[in-house]
Amino acid sequence: MEQSARKEDPIDRDIFEVTRETIDKQDLEARILTGAAGAIVTFDGVVRNQTKGRPVLSLSYEAYPGMAVKEMQRIGREIREKWPQIAGIGMIHRFGEMQISESSIVIVITSPHRKAAFEACQYAIDTLKKTVPIWKKEIFADGEEWVEGSRPSSD
Amino acid sequence: MTINLLFFGACREAANGAPEMKLAVTPPIDVQTVWQSLVAEHPALGRFNQSILFAVNEEYARPGQILADGDTLAIFPPVSGG
Repeated sequence: MEQSARKEDPIDRDIFEVTRETIDKQDLEARILTGAAGAIVTFDGVVRNQTKGRPVLSLSYEAYPGMAVKEMQRIGREIREKWPQIAGIGMIHRFGEMQISESSIVIVITSPHRKAAFEACQYAIDTLKKTVPIWKKEIFADGEEWVEGSRPSSD
Repeated sequence: MTINLLFFGACREAANGAPEMKLAVTPPIDVQTVWQSLVAEHPALGRFNQSILFAVNEEYARPGQILADGDTLAIFPPVSGG
């Protein structure tokens, strides 16, 4: 069979998703965790109640879903090049309306030892914020404003 | 030929809200030329001139990229997810 002859690539087990639903962090950790891991580092980005002192009521995220998943996969490939010891990568970005303290992004990295997992997780969120096509709008009591990202410097 | 246009975020609002449209263009044509014609049609897009980003068929694209029939050109401001 062609399938069994194919060499298994660890990235095939990684998870890259966008969703309108509440992110189930424990479920993502369970899907990523394998026996090879000695560390699991999870970044959970949640909606903050203010921006520069101005109260925020909620956030609304818009996504380009197909391209967002492709760019998340690209980050996954970069992580596996930079930290080949990484055991698993999971990233779920939510879009739509979100209330204060709800998760907009969860990133899970597992590795045999903690250092690579911490570093890869930091790299994942820093890169995602520059390259993954998702935009946030802040909803204030007296209006709403798109958050301006900064242009990727590599362009 | 025809290309598909997608707008996201603040650009979608500046382009009058339609997230998706088809555009008939005469080849050869590059991304930048389409952008300039859109700015002429929707002057509110002009404020994105220095920051605008493009993707063709879900891959980041440079302004000089030549478009082919059926391509999907996405136009959006710098991303702000996370």
